[in-house]
Amino acid sequence: MDRGMVIIVGALLTFASSWLGLVLLPYRQLQNQQPYTASPGDDPYPRQLSEKALAGVGVYSANGCLYCHSQQVRSARFGNWWEGGEMKTGADIRRGWGNRRTVSRDYLHDRPTLLGTMRTGPDLANVGSRYSPAWQHQHLFNPRSFNAWSTMPSFAFLYRREPVEGGKRAETALRLGREWTVNPGYRWRPTDEEWDRILASQPGLADALKAANPGHFDVATPEGKARLLDFWLTTEEADHQVVPTADADHLVAYLLELRKAETPLPEAKE
Amino acid sequence: MGVTLTPPTPADRAQAARERREIDSSCRGPVLHYAASAVAWLLVGTTLAVVASVKLHSPYFLTGSEYLTFGRVRMAHLQAVGIGWSAMAGMGGACWLMCRLSRATLLYPKLLHVAAGLWNVGMVANVLGILAGHGRSVEWLDSPPYVAPFLVASIGIFSVWTAATFVRRREPHVYVTQWYILAAVFWFPVLYLVTVGMIFWVRSTGVMQMVVNWWFGHNYLGLWLTPMGVGAAYYLIPKIIGRPVHSYYLSIIGFWALALFYSWAGIHHLIGGPIPAWLATASTVGSMMMFIPVIAVAINHHMTMLGSFHVLRYSPALRFTVFGAMTYTAVSFQGSIESLKDFSEVAHFTHYTVAHAHLGAYGFFTMVMFGLFYYMIPRLTGREWFSARLISLHFWCDAVGISIYFVSLTVGGWWQGRMLNDPNVPFGNIVEYVRPYLFTRSVAGCLMGVGHVAFALLLVANLAGWGRKRGIGPAYFVAPAGKPAAGEPAPV
Ligand code: HEC
Repeated sequence: MDRGMVIIVGALLTFASSWLGLVLLPYRQLQNQQPYTASPGDDPYPRQLSEKALAGVGVYSANGCLYCHSQQVRSARFGNWWEGGEMKTGADIRRGWGNRRTVSRDYLHDRPTLLGTMRTGPDLANVGSRYSPAWQHQHLFNPRSFNAWSTMPSFAFLYRREPVEGGKRAETALRLGREWTVNPGYRWRPTDEEWDRILASQPGLADALKAANPGHFDVATPEGKARLLDFWLTTEEADHQVVPTADADHLVAYLLELRKAETPLPEAKE
Repeated sequence: MGVTLTPPTPADRAQAARERREIDSSCRGPVLHYAASAVAWLLVGTTLAVVASVKLHSPYFLTGSEYLTFGRVRMAHLQAVGIGWSAMAGMGGACWLMCRLSRATLLYPKLLHVAAGLWNVGMVANVLGILAGHGRSVEWLDSPPYVAPFLVASIGIFSVWTAATFVRRREPHVYVTQWYILAAVFWFPVLYLVTVGMIFWVRSTGVMQMVVNWWFGHNYLGLWLTPMGVGAAYYLIPKIIGRPVHSYYLSIIGFWALALFYSWAGIHHLIGGPIPAWLATASTVGSMMMFIPVIAVAINHHMTMLGSFHVLRYSPALRFTVFGAMTYTAVSFQGSIESLKDFSEVAHFTHYTVAHAHLGAYGFFTMVMFGLFYYMIPRLTGREWFSARLISLHFWCDAVGISIYFVSLTVGGWWQGRMLNDPNVPFGNIVEYVRPYLFTRSVAGCLMGVGHVAFALLLVANLAGWGRKRGIGPAYFVAPAGKPAAGEPAPV
């Protein structure tokens, strides 16, 4: 046989072997998997995502949340070594990322499947059971409004800062102090001159602060001034509000439906 | 082994030189097209890399723009360096190596210009599409749906043309580099089509997509970039030091063992994940078997070098190539060990894996490609590199840069993994702990970026014809005994 043919045929065969073994076999094993029904009449698990949540998957993948967040809870028996007189095992579950490990059936309907390979942030397989929609929105808008140490990017571009029409706030508006909302995505602080101007234009500010913080303090002292600024920054803007766009709504809908490690499955027992 | 018994006469040498010139001039256009595009993508990819890297420790950096949010930049970076720089550098190099080793001229070079153009169009759509929000978060396959047709058409032309050049060969002996290239241009298109088909066209169930995804991700490195890199090193090392490769049979064993085992290794990326347990085990076996081809290649490359290390002092091409070849051995050993379950339990989900990936794709592959470019481009343009200093700057920035990169993320990533597995460590502590390591990585990335800019300057100068004409001797770091250094006048 010609050398070239040997190489091509050989390359084909070795390649085909791995395709058969690593792709076709598991494909046949997994392709017929069905949702699980505990007893007749129950809702099958996993459920299909709602339409909103499906759109949220698109937002999640377009913005690469996957590159910081995994969606898989590892086994309770996973990781076994002693350290400091303690057995460190099953950290995922003990961190509260899920009640059980996740198994292939949990991902039945996922397209794309967002298992992830990096845990810069916590696992999200079951995050739907942990937070309220309001928390999710505020966290996405600026994660550092909850944890100063967070390195998660702000997704302020999924939100809109707009004037409040007719003195009535939207129900979905975020409840955040102006330090977060004046310059979305950042943490805002006025310069000294700006602050002086604000004080001059808001004579009632000191009184409002006193009303909100009963007790004695003097606005003339540096400490009192700092408290005044703090108060100003942590109260909401009167004339502007931040509301989620449709994308943010969809994304949060998806996050709330992420409950992969809750419903018991027979094969997840260990 | 094609050994000539009678020494070549001056007339033979002149004839061979004429033939080489003819071959080089037949493929000059497309090869330079690929090479220049590759370097452009390298610069784009490096810029994206630095942006993404800085964002990981300083989240307020460029936070206002949705186009530059971390996730998109991260995807665009991988596409630009993985599919843009690496593949185009490999293809350009493979085209030239195939022509040279087959002693065949390239037919219809215009066709390969079309192929390179298609790839570039695909890549522009790819990177811009991802930044615009069309990325798909399938690692290595993040490109928007409209990109695949360009890449498939391009690689189709390229593969057929490489095979055609091989078929037209006038050199009866088939060197191992040709084996690797021929197999790679066959593997990659099939791999790509099968994967895209099974993830995006066929309705594979959830976890199955991940299995195919990692089968692809690992094989992209193993069956596409690695053969190109190893093949190029097989060509360059003996050629530059003027000695035959250590063992012919070992090179064949290495080739077949790589073909067989590398393709089985990918699923170890999912160890501990929700996949059938036997699958991860099979892949761990494949990964362990990888010791065989790696040791075979290591013996061959390093034994060939034995006794010729002094050449590293003056030859830029060799210095890059040997750095890459040594890293190949190291990174492959590391990869096999990483596939072990106990090890993977710590390293998975951490920056440790990122360090490993860069050691492979950069420390090995990219460095070998630099070596190949330093050797190949002057032969195509007829110009020497205009500054040995800049080459030296390039080498040291990259070598030191990737070393810092690797050490910082390996150490930081390992302890990140240990802390993640300890439920008593609050998550915030882990985030704060890795931050200085990520910062160090940004510094390393900038250093590598400086090297790339130096390289790009050299390439632009060379293409613009600013270097000396070839003939006086190549641009060496220092003058080898009896030869003038770059920039010095030739002895009369
Ligand atoms: C650069 C990495 C990074 C990216 C990208 C990222 N995150 Fe995070 N995420 C983190 C980190 C770090 C934390 C932990 C600190 C915190 O709560 O902010 C976190 C926490 C979270 C949490 C809270 C989890 C918990 O259990 O407390 C949610 C929910 C979340 N991220 C959702 C997302 C979504 C949705 C996206 C994509 C739109 C995303 N993240 C993108 C790093 C990232």
